[in-house]
Amino acid sequence: MSVKYVPVQWNTNKWIYDAVVILAAGLFLWLFIAVAPGFLDHERPITPLMNRARAFGMCAFLMLTAILCIGPLARLDPRFLPLLYNRRHFGVLTSLVALAHAGLILDWYYGFTAPRIAKLEGVLIANQSYAQLLGFPFELFGLFALTVLLILAATSHDFWLKFLTPPVWKRLHFLIYAAYAAVVAHIALGALQDQTHPALAALTLVAATLVAGLHGWAAIRERAPARAGQTTDLMPIGPADTIADGRARVIALASGERVAVFRDKDAFSAISNACAHQNGPLGEGRIIDGCVTCPWHGFQYRVTDGCSPAPFTEKVPTYRLELRGKELFLDPRPNPPGTALDPVRLGQM
Amino acid sequence: MAEKPFFVGYLSVPPGLRAFLAVSALCLVALFAFVGWTVATTQADPMPGGFSGRQTLTGVLSVDPYPWVHVTTGSDAIPAGRPVLLSAPGKSGVAPRAAGLDGQVVEISGGGLRRGDLDLVQVRGGARGLSPVEGASAPALRHQDLGRWRLTGEICDGKCYAGAMSPGTGLAHRACANLCLIGGVPPVFVSTKPVDGEAFLLLANADGLAVTEQLLDHVALRVELEGRIERRGNLLVFRAAPETLRVLP
Repeated sequence: MSVKYVPVQWNTNKWIYDAVVILAAGLFLWLFIAVAPGFLDHERPITPLMNRARAFGMCAFLMLTAILCIGPLARLDPRFLPLLYNRRHFGVLTSLVALAHAGLILDWYYGFTAPRIAKLEGVLIANQSYAQLLGFPFELFGLFALTVLLILAATSHDFWLKFLTPPVWKRLHFLIYAAYAAVVAHIALGALQDQTHPALAALTLVAATLVAGLHGWAAIRERAPARAGQTTDLMPIGPADTIADGRARVIALASGERVAVFRDKDAFSAISNACAHQNGPLGEGRIIDGCVTCPWHGFQYRVTDGCSPAPFTEKVPTYRLELRGKELFLDPRPNPPGTALDPVRLGQM
Repeated sequence: MAEKPFFVGYLSVPPGLRAFLAVSALCLVALFAFVGWTVATTQADPMPGGFSGRQTLTGVLSVDPYPWVHVTTGSDAIPAGRPVLLSAPGKSGVAPRAAGLDGQVVEISGGGLRRGDLDLVQVRGGARGLSPVEGASAPALRHQDLGRWRLTGEICDGKCYAGAMSPGTGLAHRACANLCLIGGVPPVFVSTKPVDGEAFLLLANADGLAVTEQLLDHVALRVELEGRIERRGNLLVFRAAPETLRVLP
């Protein structure tokens, strides 16, 4: 959380996160570029520049696969949530690796033209077989994915999140799925067509299946039944004492919204489940120092009024609760963000 | 039930999560190493071909369908009698420089490329790369019609196929090959079965002239193509009929 924009809000966890990502990508590239060629028994070596282009391309694909697995993994097992925390750095690094791949390919395959053809123009004119699958200009898929990655990298800062507003920013960043599909098509219609060994095909298939499978699995797990028809009446949400102290129970409303009902010792309050920062699931967070703490990036809100503590200004809607005996009831109508409500307390009738 | 550790990015990692995160980091690094190594060591062999050193040759120049030379005074690498395709540096041909020299004895100088029975010289710029030999009389080239053939193979650009790129074939290389052909580099048809002892043929249209860009849609694919084949000197020229082209699965 910050009240002013700085290029990167470094902390120890981010340094460690970035070091691991750089180590993984660096090891990939080092093995691919510097070590593996000595173990190939080819009649003639692959052009080193071509080998580098392949290394950066495959590394970018693997990084993108890892990035897209983090979200569903964190939804399936909260122990993966720390991997989500600094994912934007992972994404920016991925876009740079993809850019290096594109630069090497452009220099090699689209350079040295006469009469002079600009490299990007060459991408558009060299292959125009749009009507055929085999031989389709697969480079365009790569170009699209790279463009998306660069846009997402450029806007992966809280300034842009605020400037574009979270809903727009979120929709923009959903383009990552289109980019990933484009990358898979780029590989399938390009590099895979020239392979004589099944390894690349198998790895690409496993990666794409893993991303799709994890997202599907997480979606099924999270599919809570909505309380149909209950839009104004108080909804029973179960015994109060079954909610652990400092934790929440997430309630899905008929409107599709989710509400996080938190317990702070013997007091119960309800706020929107969606963090104002990036729609993180507040109900999976904890109460720390009297504030609900988002499990994604640590944004905090007072549980009684949905406001971030000063000097921060984020707000989320609150919901009215009633306690009847030991049973909690929720009014599904949201109050405006930041509306203070007295918590209900066990023993209070 | 033990309380599950809760991670907040700007606070210390809870002790209960440290081992899990350390193992996750190790798995990530190991995965990247495994995939990098696996993909790198299973890359397809780009096959033979490559630069054969500086060549200075004399021979009879033909401009159709693309400039090539029937060598009369060769080198150790390219003896007399061999056909040599010509290109300029980069993705360009030498048709403009060869115009007006058809049938004349010329001296060519430049970097040689060889793959199997295909020789190509990337001639240097200016008169040092391609110039007529004054006063030399050009021997007549043997022309032999080998009849109509249906061939299976791949259309490539002669320069990358000969070894300028490694690999210089296949779909991933297709855009590069097309840019070479657009620039005037001679296209070759690489047959899956030898024709009269040769694996590659210089590609021409049905009239024996340069092919049209219609063929660009079929570069780097496995295709079947019909046409007449003729031997000019020791070079096979495939006068292909584009309408007979069929992409094979």
